[in-house]
Amino acid sequence: MKSNASDLSTSAFMLERSSPRVAAPPGYWRIAWQSPRGNACSLLIERRSLVVSTGLFVALLCVCVLYLGLGSMALAPSAVIPALFGAGEMISVFTVQELRLPRLAAACLTGGAFALAGVLMQTLARNRLATPGIIGIDNGATAFAVASIVNVGVSIAPPAMALVGAATAAALTFGLVAGGGTQGYRFIVAGFGVGAVFGALTQLMLARVAIDVANAAYPWTVGSLNARHDNAVGLLAIGLTVGIVAAGFVARPLSLMRFKDATAYGLGINVKAWRFQVLMLSVVLTALAVAVAGPVGMVGLIGPEIARSLSSSRQVPFVASLLSGALVMVLADLAGRTLLAPIEIPVGIVIAVIGGPWLLWILMRPQRSHA
Amino acid sequence: MTPAEPTPTLATQSLALSYGTRRVIESLGVSLPSGQVTAIVGPNGCGKSTLLSGLARLHKPESGAVLLNGEDIQRLPARKLATQLALLPQEAVAPEGLTVNELIRFGRQPHQGWLRQWSAEDQRVVEHALAAAGLEALAERPLEALSGGQRQRAWIAMTIAQQTPLLLLDEPTSALDLGHQIEVFELVRHLACDGRTVVMVLHDLASACRYADHLIALCDGRIVAQGAPAEVVTPALVHTLYQVECTLLTDPDTGSPLLASVKRSRR
Repeated sequence: MKSNASDLSTSAFMLERSSPRVAAPPGYWRIAWQSPRGNACSLLIERRSLVVSTGLFVALLCVCVLYLGLGSMALAPSAVIPALFGAGEMISVFTVQELRLPRLAAACLTGGAFALAGVLMQTLARNRLATPGIIGIDNGATAFAVASIVNVGVSIAPPAMALVGAATAAALTFGLVAGGGTQGYRFIVAGFGVGAVFGALTQLMLARVAIDVANAAYPWTVGSLNARHDNAVGLLAIGLTVGIVAAGFVARPLSLMRFKDATAYGLGINVKAWRFQVLMLSVVLTALAVAVAGPVGMVGLIGPEIARSLSSSRQVPFVASLLSGALVMVLADLAGRTLLAPIEIPVGIVIAVIGGPWLLWILMRPQRSHA
Repeated sequence: MTPAEPTPTLATQSLALSYGTRRVIESLGVSLPSGQVTAIVGPNGCGKSTLLSGLARLHKPESGAVLLNGEDIQRLPARKLATQLALLPQEAVAPEGLTVNELIRFGRQPHQGWLRQWSAEDQRVVEHALAAAGLEALAERPLEALSGGQRQRAWIAMTIAQQTPLLLLDEPTSALDLGHQIEVFELVRHLACDGRTVVMVLHDLASACRYADHLIALCDGRIVAQGAPAEVVTPALVHTLYQVECTLLTDPDTGSPLLASVKRSRR
């Protein structure tokens, strides 16, 4: 009798234990709950990407405090943080809130947008060197912005013209490949050509005007955060917010589009439709960022590269790319502002000088072994 | 584990497939026997891979249709099709560093959603797929660290995890040595025993004879013969397909046709 009862209780226990227990795949946390309609819901969170993103976010915050404190008037972090909230000396509040904060915001937003656009396009093209800069969007924006400065006849502000230029370059590239499908590499080749044409146009315009006018157009040819327009920054902030949400939606299909098209189709992904949407997202993000900072597209190469070296290959590192891009941009602009003060080096040049060799090193070093 | 309810049927109806202006498959009507292994064979450039991608909806027909349970697959949503039909393309490549387990988990994609990312069913099916392909011990290995045969079995395991009644394989053994080929073919046979319909493109007629229940021989985009290998494979057919002469023997073990003393035709 006694043993029977204990058998029964054991089997009931087993039944209860065995049915709902689901182990998360290695490297993930699983959150499961019941929806109000009674459907079983589950989310997977990749541990490494959470850790990496948190780390990058903390690093970005530290660098931001540093950025707000350093400059012609140096402030200790203990003075920066109260000044952010309007406490402390008037002059430090003014310096932090009015002078440095808007520029910091522009640096974070442009860096994040370039890097997010970069990681999207690299995933689509299955090529870690593909960035929106390479497909001519930067050059289109520059050509139009320079045109608006050089030709007195045009009364539209350069950022608006940069936006129009980016859209024109993208439309041209889309138009040129329309006949041959939306194959990633074809798009890149066409974009490369379009970019070359716009680059040549910029040079032609600069060569034909007085040196003063050419000087005024100079920041648009290298990329700088000095001459920002508030409207353009606001637009970028909205665009990037939408872009982050959209990136969340494309994350799953995009992680499958890293395979060959046939594999992704076989798994039920409408590759063509997703490719077009992701391409548009990448183009819009780049265009908005170029309208603020000019052609600093190299961040779109460096940000994702840092993110990939820190992340696992289970998914596409969106968040880490975004944060790395912002981090690189803030650091570069900080260096540009302070290294040769009072002379300022445009952020585009800092990134090219430091980023170029660093990128070379990244690309030339032997691959990580996964054994 | 038996996949899906009533066995679905896959057939084509005067199907024509083209690359640009070049017609590759010409008005082809074929029905694929359910629960069996079908091999599509033919000389290089005869359109066998094109036919397979047409069956998987990767290639839009110029005319005619591919019918799944009598319904035109062009009208099916991508995700729905992916629950009925799995495809393993030729020379599939995976992102660097992906492990066997991670690859197989991608096969669950058509069954998952934004708020259904990892269910008990997913876990059970992935474990089953690992076991079916004999890869339990290698689950956490990166794909690059596997042998060719193991890697190909991992890819097939991904399609197993998709739990589709139909499985299309494009040259699953093309880059494998004999031992690894047998590994893959035995897995394919095992899947057919489970009730799946398997269609594979093969360039090797000998393995098609040995492992397929049904043979479709293509030449210039048309069917020149179809049926059980023992019935349709004749020296004349081999000559039509490959312009070679041969003697046919019977495998003492399986009864399937064996090609012997193959030499280039003098005609």
